[in-house]
Amino acid sequence: MYKYQSSKNSGSKSWVLQRITGLALVVLMIGHYILMHFHPENGHTYDAVLIRMQFSWYRIIDLSFITLGMYHGLNGIWGIFRDYNLKPWLKISVVSILIILGLAFTAWGYNIIFSIPYITNLAGK
Amino acid sequence: MAEEINKKIKTFEQQQWIKENLSYKKDSGSWAWIYHRISGIALIGYLFLHVYSLSPLSQGKAAFQHKMELYSTPFFMVLEWILFIVVLFHSLNGIRIVLVDWADGAKYHKQLYRFSWIIGIILFFAMGFIMFSHEILRVFGK
Repeated sequence: MYKYQSSKNSGSKSWVLQRITGLALVVLMIGHYILMHFHPENGHTYDAVLIRMQFSWYRIIDLSFITLGMYHGLNGIWGIFRDYNLKPWLKISVVSILIILGLAFTAWGYNIIFSIPYITNLAGK
Repeated sequence: MAEEINKKIKTFEQQQWIKENLSYKKDSGSWAWIYHRISGIALIGYLFLHVYSLSPLSQGKAAFQHKMELYSTPFFMVLEWILFIVVLFHSLNGIRIVLVDWADGAKYHKQLYRFSWIIGIILFFAMGFIMFSHEILRVFGK
């Protein structure tokens, strides 16, 4: 049954954020698909990745893509769980697992992007 | 008093939630809701896989190219194309949800649903052409 729970967090902020991140992801996804699939070399060779990663703004876009994707995805999964009125201990466990998974995979993704070197002897430098 | 009223209200049987869900009469909106969830779960699963599959990037060129040879096989290309169905549905339906919430879309949500399927099918085949055109040209081209 519905039970009123006094809380400052009504979930409205996460609802708004879910829509904003969703729209941002649609824009990023369109760019991602055009870049990766318009020519097979672009998405599948190390050199193409290396060249793109020489631009810091490209790295920033990629980092935002991972962060937004993880937030939107895991918040969405939590939204599904929230529909089933879980017991408090289950709620805490599910949220903890989602946060740990999110942080771990985001950190892994960041780490991969940061591990790609800047080539110092690129034309003129 | 409250107890008596509570007894009269049909409550959601959590023990049998699959049966309960299946028993509802479904219109386009309910199907959109179900597909949106399934595609969302699939996409977060894919995002984890995507981070894992690109991890050889940090081990240098040879390791990455070796892994990429596997992902460039026709089997994986078809899988990528199928993944695009999931991405397309989630994106187009997501835009539909935003329109329903913020742009009075509740008045035309069924038309939006049909419209997003039409756009989706067109984009699916357009992407198929883009993804496989290089392969097709290689086999049948000059």
